[in-house]
Amino acid sequence: MSEILRLTEAYVKYGDIPALSGVSLTAKQGDMIFITGANGSGKSTLTKAIAGLLPLSAGTLTRTPRMSYVPQYEEGDRDFPASVREIVLTGTQRPGNFFHTKADRQHAEAAMNALGISGLADSEIRTLSGGQLRRVFLARAVCGQPELLLLDEPCAGLDAQTHETLFTILRGMLAEGCAVVMVTHDISDIDGIPEGRVIRISAGRILTHE
Amino acid sequence: MNDFLGLITYPFVYRALIAGAMISVCAAVLGVVLVLRHYSLIGHGLSEIGFASLSLSSALGIPPMYIATPSVIAASFIIIHISRKHETSGDTAIAVASSAALALGIAVSSLSGTASNMSAYLFGSVLAVSDADMWLAVVLSAAVIGAFIVLYNRLFLITYSEPYARSLGINTAMYQVIISVLTALVVVAGMRITGTLLISGVIILPAVSARIIARGFRSLVIIAGAVSLVAFIAGLGLSFVVNIPAGAGVIIANAAILIITRIFGGRP
Ligand SMILES: Nc1ncnc2c1ncn2[C@@H]1O[C@H](COP(=O)(O)OP(=O)(O)OP(=O)(O)O)[C@@H](O)[C@H]1O
Ligand SMILES: [Mg+2]
Repeated sequence: MSEILRLTEAYVKYGDIPALSGVSLTAKQGDMIFITGANGSGKSTLTKAIAGLLPLSAGTLTRTPRMSYVPQYEEGDRDFPASVREIVLTGTQRPGNFFHTKADRQHAEAAMNALGISGLADSEIRTLSGGQLRRVFLARAVCGQPELLLLDEPCAGLDAQTHETLFTILRGMLAEGCAVVMVTHDISDIDGIPEGRVIRISAGRILTHE
Repeated sequence: MNDFLGLITYPFVYRALIAGAMISVCAAVLGVVLVLRHYSLIGHGLSEIGFASLSLSSALGIPPMYIATPSVIAASFIIIHISRKHETSGDTAIAVASSAALALGIAVSSLSGTASNMSAYLFGSVLAVSDADMWLAVVLSAAVIGAFIVLYNRLFLITYSEPYARSLGINTAMYQVIISVLTALVVVAGMRITGTLLISGVIILPAVSARIIARGFRSLVIIAGAVSLVAFIAGLGLSFVVNIPAGAGVIIANAAILIITRIFGGRP
C-alpha cells in the first residue's frame, strides 16, 4: 500500500502563538483517520496545514497532490453568483488542465446525485440552506477523484439521512484506495467506520494514537 | 438614426466603433472578476496613472502607448500587491496614487503646452482614435478575451475562493499577476475612446447591472459582456446626437441600463 500523506514533527504558529507542536501523521491508501479533540485544540489548524494553507514553522509535509479538502466553515462569499453545478465542477480542477472534460462533468453529476443535490444543480448557492451548501462542498470534494480526502467536521449541520449517505460514499472511496482524514466530535462517526484510527489532539499535540 | 448609420461610413467613426466594441466587451468581462473580488476601484486608479502617462508622452513627443502600457502594468502590480498585503489600505493606496498621478498629468500638460489634448485624454474622443490605436485596441482586446476564455475555469475558482484554489494546488499568486496585467491592458486599450476618467466605469458598471439579472457565474459573464456592448453602441450614438464626449455617452447609457435593471429585474 503506497503512502498518501506523511506529516513529520510539524509545528504551526499563529504569530508567536503555537497552534501545533510536533505533530506527526501518516496515511496510506485506504486509511481512515479520525481526529478528535476539544474546541481550540488545533484540529482545523492540522487540516489546514495538511491542505497546504498554513506554512509549517518546522517539520515536513509530503502528500499526494490529488487532495480534496472540505473546510469547517464555507470559505467563499455566501452571496457569490454561482450555481451549484458550477461550484461542484471546480472540485475537478487541477494544475495544468484548464478545461473540464466530459469525465469531469460526469463525476460532478454523479457526486451531486450521490449527495442528493441534483435537483439543485442550477440553483444559485445563495438560495441554499446551510446543510444543502455543506452537501455542495462535499460533492465538490468527492468529484475531484482524490487520493486524499480531508474533511473538517463535515457532519455538522447534516441531517441523519445525509450523514448516512456521506458514510456510504466514504466507505466506497476507502475501498477504492482513497485515504480519508476526518475531524469529528461525534463518537458515532467513529463507530460508522470501525477500522478507522482515532487521533486525539490537545493543545496542539497528539495525545493518543489508537 | 439614419444620420447615425450614415456616420459609420466615416473612417473615424468606424474605427471607434470597432475598437470600442471590443474593448467594451473585454472590460465588462474582466469587470465581473474585479467586482466580485472587491477590486472595483483598481480600474479607476490605473486610469489616472494612464492619464499621467498620456500627458507625459505627449509632452515628450513619444507615442503614448509606449509609456502608458508599462507604467499602468507596473501600477497595477503595486496596487494589487498593497491591497493584498494590508487588506484595508488598498483603497487608500489607490486614492493616493491616482490623485498624485492626476495632478502630475495636469501639471505636465499645462507646462508643456499640450493642455488642449487634456480634455480628449480625460473624457475620450473618437476623433483621437487613429488607425494604430484601433489595431492596438483590437489586438489587446483579442488577447484579453482569449486569455479569459482559456483561464475561465481558473478565474472562476479563484474569484470564488482563493484558499480552496490553493488547496487544489493552483498557483493563485500567478493568477493574481495575470488579473493585474489583463486589467492594465484593458485600461490602456480603452482610455483613448472613453477617456481616462471614465474607463473604470466601463469596467465596473456592466458587471453591476448583470449581477441583478444573472443566475450563476457564466450567465453573469455573458450578460455583462452583452450589456456593455449595447451600452457602448447606444452611448456612442448618444454622443453624436447630443454632441458630448463618447465616454460620457457610454457611461450614461450604462447607468441607464443599471437603473432599468434595478427597477425591473430584481432578484427574488
Ligand atoms: N487565524 C488564527 N489566528 C490566531 N489564532 C488562531 C487562528 N485560528 C486558530 N487560532 C487558534 O489556534 C488554536 C487552534 O484552533 P483550531 O481552529 O485549529 O481549533 P479546532 O480544534 O479546530 O477547534 P474547533 O473544535 O472549535 O473547530 C485555537 O487556540 C485558536 O484560538
Ligand atoms: Mg475546527
